[in-house]
Formats: sequence, structure tokens, C-alpha cells
Amino acid sequence: MLNMPFMRLKKVDISYKLENASVKAVRSFSCDIEKGDIVGIVGESGSGKSTLALGIMRLLPPNALLSAEIMSFDGKNILNLNQDELRRIRWKEISIVFQKAMNALSPVHKIFTQMYDVITAHSSDIPKGRAYKMLTELFGKINLPSKVLNMYPHELSGGMMQRVMIAMSLIHNPKMIIFDEVTTALDVITQGQLLDEIKRLVKEFGLTAIIITHDIGVVNEVCNKVAVMYAGELLEYGRVKDVIFSPLHPYTKALVKSHPDLRIGNELIKGIPGSLPDLTYPSKGCIFYPRCDVRLDLCKDVKPKISVLGDHIVKCHRIQG
Amino acid sequence: MSGFIRFIIRRTISIVPMVLLIVLINFFIIHLAPGNPAQIISGLEQPSREVIKALEHRYGLDKPLVVQLGIYFKNALKGDLGYSYIYSEPVIDLIKERIGATLLLTLTSAILAFVSGTFLAAWSSRYKKGILDSILSILSYVLYAMPSFWLALILILIFSSNLRWFPTAGMFNVRLSLHGFARFGDILYHLFLPVLTLTLIQIPVYFRVTRSSIFQVSRDEYILTMTAAGLERKKIFNKYVLKNAILPSVTIFGLTLGYAITGAALVEIVFAWPGMGRLMLDAVFKRDYNLLLGIYFVLAVCICIAILLTDIFYAILDPRIRYK
Amino acid sequence: MEVQTEVIVTRRKGKNIIKFWHNYRQSLYGLIGFVILLLFIVVAVFAPIISPYDPHAMKGEVLLSPSISHPMGTDHLGRDVFSRIVYGTRVSLSVGFIAAGLSAIIGIFIGSFSGYYGGIVDEIVDKIVDTFLMIPAFFLILIIVAIFGNSIFYIMLVIGLTTWPQNARLMRAQALSLRERTFIMVARATGESSIRILFTHIIPNGVYPVLANTALQMGGAILTEAALSFLGLGDPNLVSWGKMIYQARPYMTFAWWTVVFPGIFIVLAVVSFSFIGDGLQYAFNPKLSVKQKEVSA
Repeated sequence: MLNMPFMRLKKVDISYKLENASVKAVRSFSCDIEKGDIVGIVGESGSGKSTLALGIMRLLPPNALLSAEIMSFDGKNILNLNQDELRRIRWKEISIVFQKAMNALSPVHKIFTQMYDVITAHSSDIPKGRAYKMLTELFGKINLPSKVLNMYPHELSGGMMQRVMIAMSLIHNPKMIIFDEVTTALDVITQGQLLDEIKRLVKEFGLTAIIITHDIGVVNEVCNKVAVMYAGELLEYGRVKDVIFSPLHPYTKALVKSHPDLRIGNELIKGIPGSLPDLTYPSKGCIFYPRCDVRLDLCKDVKPKISVLGDHIVKCHRIQG
Repeated sequence: MSGFIRFIIRRTISIVPMVLLIVLINFFIIHLAPGNPAQIISGLEQPSREVIKALEHRYGLDKPLVVQLGIYFKNALKGDLGYSYIYSEPVIDLIKERIGATLLLTLTSAILAFVSGTFLAAWSSRYKKGILDSILSILSYVLYAMPSFWLALILILIFSSNLRWFPTAGMFNVRLSLHGFARFGDILYHLFLPVLTLTLIQIPVYFRVTRSSIFQVSRDEYILTMTAAGLERKKIFNKYVLKNAILPSVTIFGLTLGYAITGAALVEIVFAWPGMGRLMLDAVFKRDYNLLLGIYFVLAVCICIAILLTDIFYAILDPRIRYK
Repeated sequence: MEVQTEVIVTRRKGKNIIKFWHNYRQSLYGLIGFVILLLFIVVAVFAPIISPYDPHAMKGEVLLSPSISHPMGTDHLGRDVFSRIVYGTRVSLSVGFIAAGLSAIIGIFIGSFSGYYGGIVDEIVDKIVDTFLMIPAFFLILIIVAIFGNSIFYIMLVIGLTTWPQNARLMRAQALSLRERTFIMVARATGESSIRILFTHIIPNGVYPVLANTALQMGGAILTEAALSFLGLGDPNLVSWGKMIYQARPYMTFAWWTVVFPGIFIVLAVVSFSFIGDGLQYAFNPKLSVKQKEVSA
């Protein structure tokens, strides 16, 4: 395990069993994450990126099925853990900040009560007074007033709640935090502040982070690496400066073009025509084939292999590694 | 806290139109009923001309309908509900004597049903889709379909007639003049079967509401947060799921109380419980309309007050309510 | 896009019945309830053929315990309990259907009007509905029946006239949400009259929760009639289950069958309607649990 990266995901598959079908939400997802990385996972809604995050945390609903060749974190295999081992990894090693911050805490318990329960879940002998002091200090680092501790979730704004959730994710000094669409529901200014905050915290706490977003602009602002997902598959992965500024995959190119801040010169902003394919029966060929404007005949029936160009990975027949 | 006080005031004001509506319904029934309204209010079969005159003057029955309505409102809110002809007493006094017994029965059973219904729901939700869950679920349908008076008769058949464990009738043993703790015990002994009947018919309501609410809350976002944070399942259920899941049951407590009082009136008749049910039956048989309307009015007001109290209790449990 | 699909939904009636049954079958309770109800209907229709004796005939011996000739015994006047129960089915079923049906019709009209038009009328209706929902209808029904008469016709009428608020509340909520939907807005913009929109779009699309509730209210109406009869306020000319219990009560301790059997049939009838309500909820809303979650969020 000496040369193992900080986190390795190899051939992760996740499917949801429905009444008479199964939806293959994530298929053969592989990527390596190094310590200190801020990896953006970008894709449209329905691309499987949130499912992947829940899969890593093993928080999938009971009708979901997860399998993988390798799922390792910090030298440990995290694929075959029992409930108790999982419980110990959650929040101590990896924590997650969810999309809907407003619903992420119980509406009828005070913030402190919930924070304190999270503290005692892993270190049971901390008295309330010390926990309060600890939390006040932590809140200070995230620019939250300590009076928030005595408030209820509905008394806070969306941005404040998002900070509270970030504070909560930091309680046990985890090594990795997954941010699942944390800025989506916020206005542009709050969004910018929060992103700066996340960047600062990752450095300050020595974290590794995964940022899940549909906004490639967010990736450009905070991440050093980016994984582009489409319909449950990884299409391109690499350094932000490579992937965003010289994209190889036609989907990534289209994604970059569709973003107003990232287009080059005065090129027109273009959407991507078509919609996501049916994941009950994903096609044998390239998943992007129906919407691709540079497709080959080959793409229809043959799945492209992953081409590795240094630390830039891409899955397209037009690119040969 | 001022938000809380404002909430209480607002809720209190909001029940006023309801009470007025009940008075209005009563007023219309009196005027639509066959016979002279003055005769109904007098509580006499054939009141003398002077009595009619006096009543017509007192209740303004010689004035236009709108004025009459106003006077009726004023009297009802003062507690003047006219006379009962079978007892020749003011209706309000008759009710006052008996309402305690009815409320004792209703509230005891309602609270017991709330607690046991919630408990059963929490218990069965752990064995979802299992045998226990199915049995409880079918049982809840059957109990819900059971007429309260019939269940009371069946329990008497089993526990009083056959097993002779409990008395069949009354609130205390009239042959013994017990005092203090012994009297309290005697009342509890008489209370057992009526309360059991009423509790059993109310349990399904709480059981079903709490069960589906537990199911919903378990899928809420914050439960996912708590799981992700590594809290133990038991703690998540007992602290976070339960407190959130109990809220709908609290809101229906007030509404279910109306159902409970209906059941109580019928069960009281079966057990000869000295409450308003018995009074109601007498009023029905002797066609004492005024007494009937009086009972209806008082029960309605009691339920309004109960709903107000549950609303306040709800606001204590759920902080969101106070700010709406 | 949305407009088209929704219009199609309202027009595909024939297929809907098949789909309806397909979804209804998902509920085991619904199926059982449906079968029990069918049996009850058969019993009610063929009562004269099924019942071995004249329900009013006082020929047999008094208070006979169940035997082969009297499967449910005889009552204090020597009448056959089973025959009386068979005839009682007619009363209970007709009370259930007519009273709850009336309640549904009134509720649908008042609810859809009030929800669709909104404004001050809606507020007043809402307040009235609130009050009626809180105060148990039974006492009001009791008073009206006691004062105005206790023929079965009155009883059904009064139950219908006092239990509509639940339906109105459900229909109102549907109308409120439907009126903001695109296809209704389009209909309004193209100049369809409000009454037409109400009858061709709002009611057909929003009536389902009311129908499911009506099944439950049928059971409720049967219980109400039984309770009235138990208080001696049943129709004096008819045999009903509640009245049988009322009349048998003094003899209960030495003739349990006179009280137990009628009660079992009340429970059976009411349970079958509850089960049907359960099935209807599935039929109208196959993803019930998912929907419920959306509502709570």
C-alpha cells in the first residue's frame, strides 16, 4: 500500500433498484485523489455526482447497490466495513456538507444540542461547558457569532446555516470533507464569500476536499483538480488548468463554452442540445454519443477506453493516449 | 418570548368566530324547530301566557330576528342557556354538575391513547413489514371500525359478567361511603373499563399518524446528517426521529378530543357514568331541546379551549410555529 | 411541454380505468375490502332469499342460543338474529352510500368553488370548515334528528349535510394548487369560462382525494347510524344493526349472541370501507410514500 494515493476509487458502480428496473446511476468510476487536493466533481443534475458522494460516505438508501474494485482512504480499505467501523470513520475521517442546509438540521432542536450530540458521538466524555467553549472557538474561525449556538435552524439565513454545517463538519478534525452543492441555493455574493471561506479552511485545517457542483465556474475558483461526470460516467479528469483551459472531451468543451465567465473572447454562449440518456439501459457505446457534435461511427457501439496523458485522463475515441 | 405571547393571543382570538358560529347554529335550530322558541327556552310543556310574555321580553323574542340573535349571543356568552324542562333547573347548572365526570373520562383516555398509540407506532416501526407490524396495523383498522358502545358492552360481558373483575356501572360504590384515598381508589376501579374502552377506540388514530410520520421523518435530510456524523442509530431514533415524528400527533390531539367526547357520551350511557352522556340521553327521550342545545354549546366550547391548549403546547415543542 | 402532457392526462379516460385497477390491486387491504363489500351488496340485494325467516316474525322461541336452525340465535321476542342482520345490511349500506355520497357532492362543490375563486368567500368557508372539523358532527346530528324526526331519510340527509367539510377541505386544497398549474392558466387565457374550467379541469383532476375520503366516510356514516339507533333514535320502521344492539342490551348477560353478532357485522362493514379507502389511495397515487415526503418538505 506504499504507493497508494490518499483516496483511490476504482471501478465504482452504484445502481438503484426500482420496482421493475434498476437504474445504473454511477458506472465504473475511477479516480485518485492526493492529500491536499481540492477536487471538483462537475456535471449536470442526474449525472450521478451526488450519488457518488453518498456512496463514498456509505449513506445510500437501502435500495441502492454499491460495488467497487477498490475504495481506499488514507491507507485503509473502506469498501467492506461493518456498521460500527463505518460509524467510526464518519466525521472522524471524512465528513460531508449537504446541499440543502436549511433542512440539514432538526428543526426542533437548538443548534448547540445537535452539535453537542455530534461531539459526543465520537468523544463521549466531553462535558457541555468545554464543548460550548470549543464550539465558540470553532465558530469564530468561520465568522459565526457564538449566539448562533442557542438558536434554532429556522432563525438563520441560508448562508448562515451553510456555515453552521461547515462548522459541524470540522468538529472532529476530519482529513477529508465532501461539499455537496453547498453554494447552489445561495445568492452570488454569499456564494463568493463561502467559496473563499472554504479555500481558506482547507489550507488552515490541512484538509483534502471534494467539491460537488454543476457550476464549472465554482470549480475554476477553488479547485486544483476536476472530474467531469456525465450520465454516471467519468469523462475527463485532471488539473483544472488543463481540463478547463485545454479540454479534450467534447462534453467538457461544451460545458466550458456554456459558462459565461470561461468562454474565450467573444464566442457565443452555447447550451448543449439534447438531454440525459435513460440510465435503466445505458448504451453499449459512448454515453455522450447522442449529443456529441464530433461523433464517429465507432462511438455508437464501442465504449471508449480511458486514455492517460500524464495526469490528464480522458474517455473519448478521438483522443489516443 | 414576546413572539410566543403574540402567538397565544392570536390563537385565542381565532377561536372567537368558532364559538360565535356554534351559537349561530343553535339559534337557528331553536327557530326552525317545531313549536314556539319561548316554549323551548321555558323548558315547560305548556307555559302560561305570563311565562311566555316574560321570556319573550327577557330574550327579546318580540323584537326583530337580528336583535334576537344579538341577545341570544349575549346570554350564551354569559352562560345563560335557558331552562331544562325535565329538571326545571337552569341548563348551565345541570351541565356544571356533570361536566367534571365527562372530562375526567375523556381526558384520561385521550392522554392514555396518545401515549400508547405513539409507543406502539415507535415499537412497530422497528419491525417494518414484519408480522408484528401487520398485526398491529390490522388491529388498528378493526378498533377504528368498532362502535364505542358495542366495545363497552363486550368488555362488560367479559370482565364484569363473566370474570367479575370490574363493576358494570357507576363512578363509585354508593353503598360504601368511602373517603380520601379509598374513595380515590374506588373511582379508579370504576373508571377502568370506561377508560379502557375509550382508549382502545382512540389508539388507532395516534398509532397511524405517528407510524407514517416516523416513516417520513426517517427519510428527512437531518436524519441523514446525523447518520453521516456517526451518531448511533438508537440515539438518532429516540432523540431526533421521535421528537419530530410526534408533532403531527400533538396537532391532532385537539381534533381527536371531539371524537373522544362523542365516544365518551355513548360509553357513559353504557356504564351509567354520571356525566353529560346520561343527561343527553334523558334530553333526547324527553325532547328537552334546550338542554340538548346547551350540552352541544358547552362541549363545543370545551373542545375549542382544548384545541387552543394543544396549539400552545405544540408551539412549545416546535419553535418554528411561534414565528409564523 | 407541461401543457401538452397534462391535457393528455385529462383526456385518456378509457385506459385510466385499467390503470386504476392495476394500481388498486397493489393494496392487499383494498382487495379484501372490495371483496367484503361485494358480499355485503349481494346480501343486501338478495336479503329475502338469503334470510331463513321473516325478520319481524316473533314465532320462534325466545332467546335461543345459536343452533343449526337459528345460526345466530333468537332475540327476546323470538325473532331470528341472522335474518335481522341480513336485512340490517340494507340499512347500513344505503346509509353509507347515500349519506357519504351527499357529503362528497356538497364538499366537492363548496371546496372547488371556494378554492378556485379565493377571496373573502374562501376565507369564510375556510373558517366554517375549520369549526365543523373541530366540533364533532355527531352531537349536531343527534340534536337535529331528535328535533326534526328520525326517519332513515332524515338520518341520511343530516349525516350528509354535516360531514361535507372534510371533503371541502380536501377539494379546496386541490383547487388551490390546480389553479396555479399551467394548463389551467392556458385555459383561462384562451377565454374558457370559469364554470367550464371548474367542471372540466379542476373537479376531474382534483377529485381523487375526496373519493378516497368518501370511502372512509361511508364507514363513518354506518357508525353514526348505529350510534343513533343505539340511543333509540333509529328509524322505527326498519331493522338496523345498531337498533338490534339497543334492543338486546337488557338481555345481554344471558344472551350474548344478540349483542355480539350485530356488532361484528358493523365492524366488518366499516373495516371493508376503510380497506377500500386504502386501496383508492394507492390507485390514485401509486407513489404514495414519495408524495407524502414531498408534502412534508
